Amino acid sequence: MKSAFVRLTLILFGISLLISCEKDKKTTSNEGDGKDRAVLLTRYADSLVNPAYLDFKTEFDNMKNSANAFIADPDIIKLQNLQESWENAYLNWQGTELFDFGPAEVNTLRNFFNIYPADVTGILNNISNTSANLEVPASYPQQGFPALDYLLNGVGSTDTAIVQFYKDPVDGAKRQAYLIRIIDRMDLLFTSVQNEWLGAFRDDFISKTGLDISSSTSKMVNGLVLHYERYIRSGKIGIPSGILNGGIAAPEKSESYYRKGLSKSLLLKAHNAYYDFFTGTSFNGKQAGTSLQTYLDALGAKDNASGKLLSNIIIEQMDLIKQKIVALNPDIAAQISNDPSSTNDLYNAMQTLVRLLKVDMTSAMSITITYTDNDGD
Amino acid sequence: MMAIKRYLNKNSSIAPLAFFRICFGLLLFISICRFWSRGWIESLYIDPKFHFTFYGFDFIQPLGNYSYILFLICALSALMVALGMYFRISSSLLFLSFTYIELMDKTYYLNHYYFISLISFLLIFTPANRAYSIDSLRNKSIQTTQIPRWYIDAFKLMLGILYFYAGLAKVNSDWLLNAMPLKIWLPAKNDLPIIGPLFNFEITAYIFSWLGCVYDLSIPFLLLNKRTRPFAYIAVVVFHLLTGLLFPIGMFPAIMTVAALVFFSENFHHKILDFIFKKLPQFKPEFNSLYIPKNRRITLWMFACFFIIQLAFPFRYLAYPGELFWTEEGYRFSWRVMLMEKAGYAQFKVKDSSGHITVIDNREFLTPQQEKMMATQADMILQFAHYLKQQFEQKGNSQVEIYVDSYVSLNGRLGKTFVKPDFDLTKVDESFQHKNWIQPFNEDIKGF
Repeated sequence: MKSAFVRLTLILFGISLLISCEKDKKTTSNEGDGKDRAVLLTRYADSLVNPAYLDFKTEFDNMKNSANAFIADPDIIKLQNLQESWENAYLNWQGTELFDFGPAEVNTLRNFFNIYPADVTGILNNISNTSANLEVPASYPQQGFPALDYLLNGVGSTDTAIVQFYKDPVDGAKRQAYLIRIIDRMDLLFTSVQNEWLGAFRDDFISKTGLDISSSTSKMVNGLVLHYERYIRSGKIGIPSGILNGGIAAPEKSESYYRKGLSKSLLLKAHNAYYDFFTGTSFNGKQAGTSLQTYLDALGAKDNASGKLLSNIIIEQMDLIKQKIVALNPDIAAQISNDPSSTNDLYNAMQTLVRLLKVDMTSAMSITITYTDNDGD
Repeated sequence: MMAIKRYLNKNSSIAPLAFFRICFGLLLFISICRFWSRGWIESLYIDPKFHFTFYGFDFIQPLGNYSYILFLICALSALMVALGMYFRISSSLLFLSFTYIELMDKTYYLNHYYFISLISFLLIFTPANRAYSIDSLRNKSIQTTQIPRWYIDAFKLMLGILYFYAGLAKVNSDWLLNAMPLKIWLPAKNDLPIIGPLFNFEITAYIFSWLGCVYDLSIPFLLLNKRTRPFAYIAVVVFHLLTGLLFPIGMFPAIMTVAALVFFSENFHHKILDFIFKKLPQFKPEFNSLYIPKNRRITLWMFACFFIIQLAFPFRYLAYPGELFWTEEGYRFSWRVMLMEKAGYAQFKVKDSSGHITVIDNREFLTPQQEKMMATQADMILQFAHYLKQQFEQKGNSQVEIYVDSYVSLNGRLGKTFVKPDFDLTKVDESFQHKNWIQPFNEDIKGF
């Protein structure tokens, strides 16, 4: 009885070796290549995150200088300079907002930079109350780029009226002060995040090569998945289109609501930055390299039915989404009001991508979408 | 018949049982302390708004802040079991409190918790406190050196069932032919020192899969046989060290490694106990005596029924159509351990009587871990849908319909729709019937 059992297991084991050797031949000789997460993390830190932060800082400083010039002597030309540099910085931000892991996550940078729609009542209150607390969650939509959108584009119907808003003999000085207060605050928050990346955090990030919940890869992927689901799909399309609220459209909840015609560019920038992150396209020089894509390929993640690589399925879906974004009206609020079918269609395509990222990609990488530490079996 | 009778009349030293009791109680005590110190009582049982109860055990709910008392009772009874103190009461309390904890929320269901419940249940009916215990020190009249052998064999059988059934569950095409899910899980550990680089090779996943299967199927027999036992035990140690290193399975490796000692001889146990109680000789039984259970027949029949159920229960999945790994109907309580890499996504839509649809943000009601477990398990999806219905009805919406947009990936397959998207989940109640609203898997995973 037992010897038969032993013989059977030996035979089964032999078969397994044969099968696995057979499979082994098909794969490349160095299976360790591409699965080294230290290489992956180094690339993300040095070729994507840090250069993007550096570039954002330049654009941000331009905006800050324009703002200081504007309040020194408000006029239309300086306002338009400021509006333009705000637009550039906001576009640039879309390429950094996705780094919601590490210092940016710890400092909840996004909450202070891009929670919309702007809270106009809150902003007006804060202008008169110079000691208003800007740390609490209720203050998120009273600061950052959305608040600047209102302050630079929404406080008057023409640029002349906007300049007047800041030249008001009674409240002008307070309004200028709030404008500068929130820009300085953004500068402070961002600089501390950037300094951490330039300092000890980078090495720490690269050294945590595991896949447990405290590891860099796990935090990075969790942050990325959440970013697409909540801040691109829901924030930019799902909520303003009303898809997430019984179909009741709320175009006023779209990004850059006051600066008409910018929201599509912001969305496209955010989506393209995501694409580049997935494919590991370096910030400078746009060279492809070690990335989530190559990591998934090294793991052999594919659809068994069609034999297609999972990374290709993800990239195709991102391409499809890009086409749908490009076809939108430059102003997403206008698109939602005029023809919601295109945004609904885009939402569905994004939903498909979210599933691929959140379920297929994380599962293939053995990353659990969970933030609690607990035993499993 | 005669052979059975003869077997039932065989006796054995009480030493293996007493030692088992001491180790089991201590390890459980440590487990509960570990659980407590990590803040899990709060984060798993007090913080969540909603709990996934077991069908038929819906009255078993976390007790809010009193949950701490429950854990305290469990920890103290485990310690008292180890000491052999008020044994009948402490072992009963241990079984009841531990099982209550286990049943509070199926999100945290683990086979090894179930194993602990079963072992503590069996312990209640044994004379494990009649030597090397406080009870036997205080009441010398209960001191025992010999007990019927089947008391000890019951624990061997339980361990054997666990291993063998776990091995049987591995005899399937995903595990053996595709090395799934190890092919996914092992590369995640490729940054471990020394052995890490091995996990970059696919063949490692195949070797581990096959060895794991062979280990589980054969280890009970190799432990039973005197000649193979030392080698088998080395295998036990290596196996559990490795799984403990690779997977987040907490105390399970320690418990199994220690529990397997029950297979060793009387002599072995005498030596260990002599060593432990060198300074405390008063705990050793003073004279030789044989314990004969008062209600021997009832106990024997109960043990027999217990094991018949244990042997049959894991096969209940055969009563359900569809792929077991996909539907998970009859999956729990069957020693199916670490067989699946399953991930899912479930987005609920609540449609009220006016036709207004609300898309649910699961995070409003569930913790990330609850959401994760719910997204791949049909009974939990249904339970959550009914909870949502209740929530909406409390807000004055009558006649809501609830649909789920779900997507599940299993063992590296590309994800697909899990629950029929046009099925109104309020239309059906939980039952042991097949859930025909689960989308068919349309693939065949062959084997057990």
